Amino acid sequence: MNRRDFLKKASIATSGIISAPYILPTGRLFAPTGQRLVNHVVFVLFAGGVRNQEAVDQQFLANQGLTTEGNIMNNMLAGAAPTNYTSLYNPLNPVLSQPLQNSGTLFKEVIYSQGPTGHYNGHTVALTGNYTETGLNLAINPEFPTIFEYYRKHNGLDQTALDAWWISESLGPYPSLNYSRHPNYGAGFGANYLHPQTVFGEEGVRQLSSITDYHPEEVARINRVKQLLDNNFNNSGEAIPGIQNTGDNREWIKEFLTNTLNGFENQSLDIAVPGNNYFGLNGDLATISTAWQVLDQFAPELTVVSTFNVDACHNNFSYYLNALHRADYGVGWLWDKIQSHPTMANDTILIAMPEHGRNLESNTLTDANGLRAYDHTGDDNSRRCFTLIAGPQGVVNQGQVLGSIGNPAAETIDIVPTIAYALGFDDQISGSLMQGRVLEEAFV
Amino acid sequence: MFDIKITRLLIFILPLLIISCKKETRIIREEVIDGYIYTVNSEPVYQSNVEKTKQKTTEQFISILYANLFQTTIPQTDLTDLSLIRNAIGDKQMADELIISGLVNNPEVNIPTNQQMRDNLDAFVEDTYIRFYLRLPTAYERYELRDEIESDLDMTPQDVYVAFAISNEYKFY
Repeated sequence: MNRRDFLKKASIATSGIISAPYILPTGRLFAPTGQRLVNHVVFVLFAGGVRNQEAVDQQFLANQGLTTEGNIMNNMLAGAAPTNYTSLYNPLNPVLSQPLQNSGTLFKEVIYSQGPTGHYNGHTVALTGNYTETGLNLAINPEFPTIFEYYRKHNGLDQTALDAWWISESLGPYPSLNYSRHPNYGAGFGANYLHPQTVFGEEGVRQLSSITDYHPEEVARINRVKQLLDNNFNNSGEAIPGIQNTGDNREWIKEFLTNTLNGFENQSLDIAVPGNNYFGLNGDLATISTAWQVLDQFAPELTVVSTFNVDACHNNFSYYLNALHRADYGVGWLWDKIQSHPTMANDTILIAMPEHGRNLESNTLTDANGLRAYDHTGDDNSRRCFTLIAGPQGVVNQGQVLGSIGNPAAETIDIVPTIAYALGFDDQISGSLMQGRVLEEAFV
Repeated sequence: MFDIKITRLLIFILPLLIISCKKETRIIREEVIDGYIYTVNSEPVYQSNVEKTKQKTTEQFISILYANLFQTTIPQTDLTDLSLIRNAIGDKQMADELIISGLVNNPEVNIPTNQQMRDNLDAFVEDTYIRFYLRLPTAYERYELRDEIESDLDMTPQDVYVAFAISNEYKFY
């Protein structure tokens, strides 16, 4: 029995002895009755603004006035790779023997129908299932509950923050998306948040490398003094903000973070780069590699991980192609890893979706290869997205493709209810809180 | 008394205001409190912990923590690094514990030795309260902490410092 199992079983057994029948934190007597499709969902927010043209439409350089097309996302999508100009994106051999599309349902046309096509707006829409207003405040948590809060509030007794993770490629305002300011939800139901490039990057190496793991007896001594001090401080002002892990989980995560930092430093971790070549790590692949470490260590039931490097498309289309190709590699690598995990294999649904698209018309910038760049300012093309839902046979419809240009099969607000459905608690959420629908057609 | 304090604060605060244009002038009161906290002195500022009702910002928390541990102002690079790290971890208590662990393991840290602590426990307790909480301990707090240290021979000054730095009161001013 590993430590996670032990802690879970011990806490369940203890609570059963002390307080059966137990009234759940939600006020309900029993756990939700919804049927789970799987026990793990990994949502890859394939973000940064991806044009359908270079993704699911597989047009490569056709929009640059060159007559070459092809699929540069050969881990996620079926289709032949380009035969010309391949040095622009430095092709990698696919990780997967067959594209992920064959292991699930591809919503080839998904619409982001309302609100600004800004990155933070798009992330917020994807994680709350609600379109956002123009004046979104970047400095505060979102108005509507996040998928993490729905999961933790409506999923029974033993879901702690250790079961829900939000791992982002970018820092900026994105830490705010691990819980909302909704009065019925909030930090008490939030997810663990992690920005790997800071914690395991230069800042972490400079500041955290000297950390030594405390002996449990020393932790107990420190906590005894802390408790003594806290008992004498009755704060009547603001509450301590943010999510809180339980004491045991906090120590476990700290140990994980220090081990992962050491692993990145001495290059001993398995990373999402061919040949485990650390020089090939970009932000997206470092983030995905960390997500795997989290999955491998904690096997959380709900994980959201974002990529972002394609946003270079604002001024460097060549780099955009390269980043898109590598983000696809990362998704394939992650899926491959999940299928090697003792508990997550064949029990995980992976969802990948950009937060929004990019414009149809280029801006005035060209890169070193003379390729035009694209922004995302809210035209119809920047509202075009795609969604891939992959999972076990018998759970997710395999090899299905839905939607076409002008005929979107889904909206970006649909991911939250779809995750809730996959984890069996969609019927517990008030309909007034979510605008989207469950993408039931993806499932058997 | 008031004029002396204000003069001393202005001497400390003015360079900060000149160097940094990020702080808004409308939070002058916080600057004044910061001024007390950032200064490396051994004088109590608060009469009681009930005066502490506002949470420190990330930058305040880290700057003050650094000053308390190293008895000097935090270099800008360290402040930037540690602020980013605190933002990059969702569980702030955990982030603080990691940051504190990193700092107390720094060879430059200014922590009394175990011998110094146990040679004059009353002084250690009082100094620690003033250093971290900017106030004197109550009689009961003084007794409690002294008793805790005396009854556990493995308790080190580092343990006590870490406990103060991760305590709830330390998050407020």
